[in-house]
Amino acid sequence: MTDSPIRFRASRVAVYALLILMTVLYLLPLYGLINTSFKTSEDIANGPIAPASSLYLGAYKAAASSLGRPLLNSAIVVVGATLFSTILGAMAGYVFSKFRFRGSEILFFLVILGFYLPYQAILIPLVRFMGTIHLFNTYFGLILTHTAYGVPITTLLFRNYYATIPNELLESASVDGCSFFSAFRRIMLPLSLPGFAVVGIFQFANVWNDYLFGLTLTQGVNAQPVTVAVANLRGTMTAVWNVQMAGAFLSSLPIILIYIFLLKLVVKGLLMGSVKG
Amino acid sequence: MSKRKIGTLVFLAPAVVLVTVFVYMFLAQSIHMSFTNLRFGRVATWIGLGNYIRMFTRDAAFQTSLLNTLKLTAVFIGLTIPLGLFLAILLDLGVKAKGLFRTIFLIPLSFSFVASSVMWVWAFLPETGTINTILRAIGLSSLAQPWISSGSQSLLSVALVYIWQFSGFATLVYYTGISSVDPAIIEAAGIDGASTWRKYWHIVIPQLKPATVTVLILTLMYSLKCFDLVWMMTGGGPGYSSEVLATFMYKVTFSQSKFGYGASIGVVLLLLSVVVVAAFMIYMKRGERD
Repeated sequence: MTDSPIRFRASRVAVYALLILMTVLYLLPLYGLINTSFKTSEDIANGPIAPASSLYLGAYKAAASSLGRPLLNSAIVVVGATLFSTILGAMAGYVFSKFRFRGSEILFFLVILGFYLPYQAILIPLVRFMGTIHLFNTYFGLILTHTAYGVPITTLLFRNYYATIPNELLESASVDGCSFFSAFRRIMLPLSLPGFAVVGIFQFANVWNDYLFGLTLTQGVNAQPVTVAVANLRGTMTAVWNVQMAGAFLSSLPIILIYIFLLKLVVKGLLMGSVKG
Repeated sequence: MSKRKIGTLVFLAPAVVLVTVFVYMFLAQSIHMSFTNLRFGRVATWIGLGNYIRMFTRDAAFQTSLLNTLKLTAVFIGLTIPLGLFLAILLDLGVKAKGLFRTIFLIPLSFSFVASSVMWVWAFLPETGTINTILRAIGLSSLAQPWISSGSQSLLSVALVYIWQFSGFATLVYYTGISSVDPAIIEAAGIDGASTWRKYWHIVIPQLKPATVTVLILTLMYSLKCFDLVWMMTGGGPGYSSEVLATFMYKVTFSQSKFGYGASIGVVLLLLSVVVVAAFMIYMKRGERD
């Protein structure tokens, strides 16, 4: 759909004025973030609005020295968790949309209910479990956790995605002698690539931005994700605002870039995740 | 077994096993734990409803947290929905660069709560913060506020950040909803000479119920789960003024090592979510029958 055909009568100037005002309000914190991150501490004393007087990179150097390892940790965990949760969700979504069986609706419902789970309700058993199986403070522990709590939403997204692929395609394939597996590989997988991109990006952003699991399942810098490291900067760098801002901006950069360059896929994921289950 | 049966099993097993362990088994353990007085390094005793009785009769901090959770939810949703709808209508009024504005409104959603709390704590600083500095610069110093440093404003300030992060999402969902309203209906109304705002009010908005439900359920879930923002911005303070169930549960569990009591607070959060999801499901079922 393009523009709705409602004839435009309200004052054009008022509409643009409102939109621009909202834009300023929305971007103001972002301005503070980027502007302050390039300031020296003397420069910060000039007030939060004044633009940085030079492109000072010291804050970034300081932030990078404590965020280097956590950034790597986050990258490893996010790639692993995104891959696993997306693939498992695609497999389950394929069955739930194309191979219904007795009780499959109920099973599907029980799986996607996990999406609505408040994590505080499982936090203590989760931390104890990770300790028991010796995965506390490990990449694999975080990957496993994010995969498990990602599967409900990826299953829902893929079931809805596969629902848009006509059954006739699969039926004609089975006439041609394609089995369950080869039909998935030869027909569904090639058609799923856009779905993988959308769901993958959705999961990537979710896992990258997680704080609670990183906070409770890691200790020290070994597996610590970047969100936890940025949060810790607040403790160690209290009132050193340029370093805090540089750290927050560095940690956000991957997802900001995804939003800017892959916005279409991001929007698809947000809208797909919000349709009914 | 047929290939189809084997295939179904192989494809479902990993997802089902993970969800069974990480959601249902852990939930069962939490619920079981909530009936005990388990603490770090001690043997647990079964105390029945003891934790629940204590939180509702004797624990003022818990009651404040529960009330704050509901308040935060009410303010967050009560403002995000009209704001999202308003922005979506503005974008629908045939403006140029719609895509650019939509992107700008969505950008806050890309930040982790950790990153957004860093920039907002800075913006909220009473003396040197961006907001108060601007208010003073434009001659509105009387409007300068203590924001998160004040007990009466800390919770509202957190809600404001929430609204900033999620209203772009509401705008997106509403804008998509508005775009899918049948133009013929609007055209027909246009002949009667209905004004722009009346057309939205009488024709477009009534058709946006599904969009509203979508925004409602997601914002509700996010505000119940809300931990990161409160933890980072105020730590629940000053005092307990911005404490919510999620942060209170974390403190009780990980600072005080009261696992049984912490689990019971988690169960209360679970029950709140169950109510929300059940209401959502009932609405959906009714929609299917109509």
